Amino acid sequence: MKISAFKTGRFWILFLLLLIFSWGYAFSEKDSVVEIYKNATAPFDDEKSVDSILLIPDNTVPVETKYQGGFFWTETRKDKIERFKCSECHNNKDVQIARAAEIAHGDIILDHGGQDKPLSCYTCHKKDDRNFLVTEEGSKIDMDHSYQMCGQCHFRQKKDWVGGAHGKRVSYWAGTRVVKTCTSCHDPHSPLFEKRWPKTYSPPLVN
Amino acid sequence: MNSRKNKDCRKQKKNTPLQDKPFGRREFLKGAVKAAALGSAAMVSGCGTGLLGSSEEDSLRWKEYFKKHYRLMTQEEKDETVRRLERLARLRRGVDIQMSSKGPIERILFGYAFNLTRCEGFMECVAACVKENNLDRKSNTQYIRIFEMEHGEMSPASGNSKYFHEVPVEDHFYMGVQCFHCEKAPCVKACPTQATYREPDGIVVVDYDWCIGCRYCIAACPYYGRRFNWNEPYVPVNEITKKQHYLGNRMRTKGQMEKCTFCVQRTREGRLPACVEACPTGARVFGNLLDPKSEIRYVLKNKKVFRFKEELGTDAKYWYFID
Amino acid sequence: MIKKPPGKGLMAFFADIIRWNLSGGIVYQLYLCVLAAFMVLGVYAYFIQINLGLSATNMSDIVSWGFYISNFTFLVGVAAAAVMIILPAYIFKDKDLHKVVIIGEVVAIGALVMCLMFVFVDLGSPLKAWHMMPIIGIFNWPSSLLTWDVIVLNGYLALNLMVPAYIVYCHYNHRKPDERKYRPLIFISIFWAFAIHLVTAFLYEGLPARPFWNNPLMGPRFLASAFAAGPALIIMVLVIINFTTTFKIEAQVFNKLRRIIVVSAIINLIMLFSEIFKEFYLPTHHSLPAVFLYFGLDGHNSLVPWIWTAISMNLLGTLTLAVNPGRNNPKVLFPACILLFLGVWIEKGIGLIVPGLVPSPLGEVVDYAPSWVEVSVTLGILALGVFVVTMLIRPALIIEERFGVEQGT
Repeated sequence: MKISAFKTGRFWILFLLLLIFSWGYAFSEKDSVVEIYKNATAPFDDEKSVDSILLIPDNTVPVETKYQGGFFWTETRKDKIERFKCSECHNNKDVQIARAAEIAHGDIILDHGGQDKPLSCYTCHKKDDRNFLVTEEGSKIDMDHSYQMCGQCHFRQKKDWVGGAHGKRVSYWAGTRVVKTCTSCHDPHSPLFEKRWPKTYSPPLVN
Repeated sequence: MNSRKNKDCRKQKKNTPLQDKPFGRREFLKGAVKAAALGSAAMVSGCGTGLLGSSEEDSLRWKEYFKKHYRLMTQEEKDETVRRLERLARLRRGVDIQMSSKGPIERILFGYAFNLTRCEGFMECVAACVKENNLDRKSNTQYIRIFEMEHGEMSPASGNSKYFHEVPVEDHFYMGVQCFHCEKAPCVKACPTQATYREPDGIVVVDYDWCIGCRYCIAACPYYGRRFNWNEPYVPVNEITKKQHYLGNRMRTKGQMEKCTFCVQRTREGRLPACVEACPTGARVFGNLLDPKSEIRYVLKNKKVFRFKEELGTDAKYWYFID
Repeated sequence: MIKKPPGKGLMAFFADIIRWNLSGGIVYQLYLCVLAAFMVLGVYAYFIQINLGLSATNMSDIVSWGFYISNFTFLVGVAAAAVMIILPAYIFKDKDLHKVVIIGEVVAIGALVMCLMFVFVDLGSPLKAWHMMPIIGIFNWPSSLLTWDVIVLNGYLALNLMVPAYIVYCHYNHRKPDERKYRPLIFISIFWAFAIHLVTAFLYEGLPARPFWNNPLMGPRFLASAFAAGPALIIMVLVIINFTTTFKIEAQVFNKLRRIIVVSAIINLIMLFSEIFKEFYLPTHHSLPAVFLYFGLDGHNSLVPWIWTAISMNLLGTLTLAVNPGRNNPKVLFPACILLFLGVWIEKGIGLIVPGLVPSPLGEVVDYAPSWVEVSVTLGILALGVFVVTMLIRPALIIEERFGVEQGT
């Protein structure tokens, strides 16, 4: 009897030790992810680390505003405008022909600025140099750098776009930062996304 | 029959440097247990030919059955299984796939942010995800769920995930939910075989072939982030995404758990996950949390972010923010 | 009257066991046939499940555990409940209960076999079960509670096989078993019984993702309900044995078991009341599973009739056993025990598992009812359990009875 009691006792001590050890293991805590990323301050060189990264694609221009990491590129606009250059039709004077705008640019629905502050063509387009846009202050803006144009009013979005919280990168998260420009997603003449049917749907669940 | 099995096991084991020992008692036991498992395999599947290794396919499957957990494989073993799987895809489905076993990159921790203001519920991400990850078309498996929610409540429980009408609807906003790749993932803790585990770059993956299908991880996941293959998944041959990764979008079989991997086959090569690339509104931000100049770090620093069910202490690497 | 001892040794022991099990009247043979038929049905359904995958069941990504795991959970309790006889029989040296202790242990073995089978049929890739074995696979211990459960269930099965086998084998050979040899195992098995049920409760309790389960009362309530349902099943088995064999059980035994059941069932009801109070006094989002269970949610109310049936059965059974109108008359005890047993079965089975999973973590509500495949496989496993119990109890009782006669007690 005594022997068995002793054995049982030893078993229980072992068992308890095992239990304590395993619980300690189960409850061991790592740093939280917020701590981890806050401590990561050294710059990361994706060109070196990630094997296959995007070379700067064609049809991009370096953005004139710098972001936290330096230079970045954005998609061009001019090559996506069907009848660029504008100067092929326009000279630096007003068009005199009646209803010319309707005939030449009837496809454009201008819905920008809402009912309170509707924009007109010349809010953005430079009257005397049609290849360019013009800011409120009168400085000339290249079509490929239209973000400077939009950023006048939408300065918050522009700040987010420069930082990375608005808009999106093109294909790669690593390597040279190439982002979509404002007009890649928004129609500058009616920038709100249109309502449409979703691409797919989540199937009804079993019952 | 029996000795053949043991020989096979031994051959397998010889590959590992650690166990390059003469055929010992332990090895024999291992072989015996596996042989027993196979005996029952024969009984259950009811096909003897599968065990005899008569055709190339059978012998490949035989080797696949005895392979180790992916994390314990040497690079050569990984290459071997990848080659086997490529060959099996050729034999069984007639497709030429390219499978990668690319490992994690140093100093990368993937993070994801979702802009609640921007999402308009177009569900392009869901479609892209299904296509990219070879998700089962028969049972319509989807990793991402988009909830249409009314202003005033911030819980998907009050939202509708089964909408199909023109979007966006007035006075509604949209919230996408998928696997959040928790740092302290309950599913990883729950898995009895460590088939689901956290890779060093922070993604939580499943070694599909190691999973026994007990589904304890589904019970443990507070985000409904995991999917089970209730039936043999089916993808039309011409729709199979051929660029695959062992831990990512390769074909699964019935009885295995699967989940979002942040498109490991893309992200480890510097590309964006399919959902981020497909998003028409730029509501999805993806990047390296350890890179101070990444977009995700900008969002975390400059936006008011929150995490879903943060009180559960899962430490998710998926944040929501509002413009 | 002392007979010449039959051939001793292990071979003869097993030969006799098989002989005794196969011999029996026409009713007994019929009974075996019925069990076999159910088992064949189960195997057939399981083949279908293997071929189609688990889509042959009605489970889904939301209700990812269904009928199988429900039955598993309940039967763990039944297995653990054997301790309620072992404890008084061996530790407090209760003579009456000592006579039926073997029956308790055999019921535990049967329940454990069923438990392991239920887990096995629930696996999506059963052929890969070896991935979980230590050494040849990866056994994620101590992190995963499921591995703890594997240890405690198999350990308890081994303990419950070893002790009675040793005692019965000694009796078969006309020896008195050496108490020093098995007593430590008895001690371990007592703690182990609590462990199997607590660990199984922790399996659910440890999931913050599931507020319905993440509840510290889970473990204690598991124990209380098990210590009611388990002895209730043992009473049922004893009544059957009393009626069908020459092995007679004294009224004292029934009375003692009844008392154990009543105390446990009342504690169980108190805890149930406490849970219901917590869920409904000031309902939160975390109470939705309870609402789904008791009243239905968004038009999904498949569980509502079941849970109310279960609670009524529970109450009625407990009251009957507590008042004891039949003075331990088996004719009253038996139905009361059935009521209690079924009540706990529903409540600790499907009434516990499904609401843990519905609504889903994202608030989606679905209904669940087992498919015919699930029901058939379950019936097959239950038949297997009954078969195992029968196969073990018959020889054990024959040996015990003979040994009792020899000892003149």
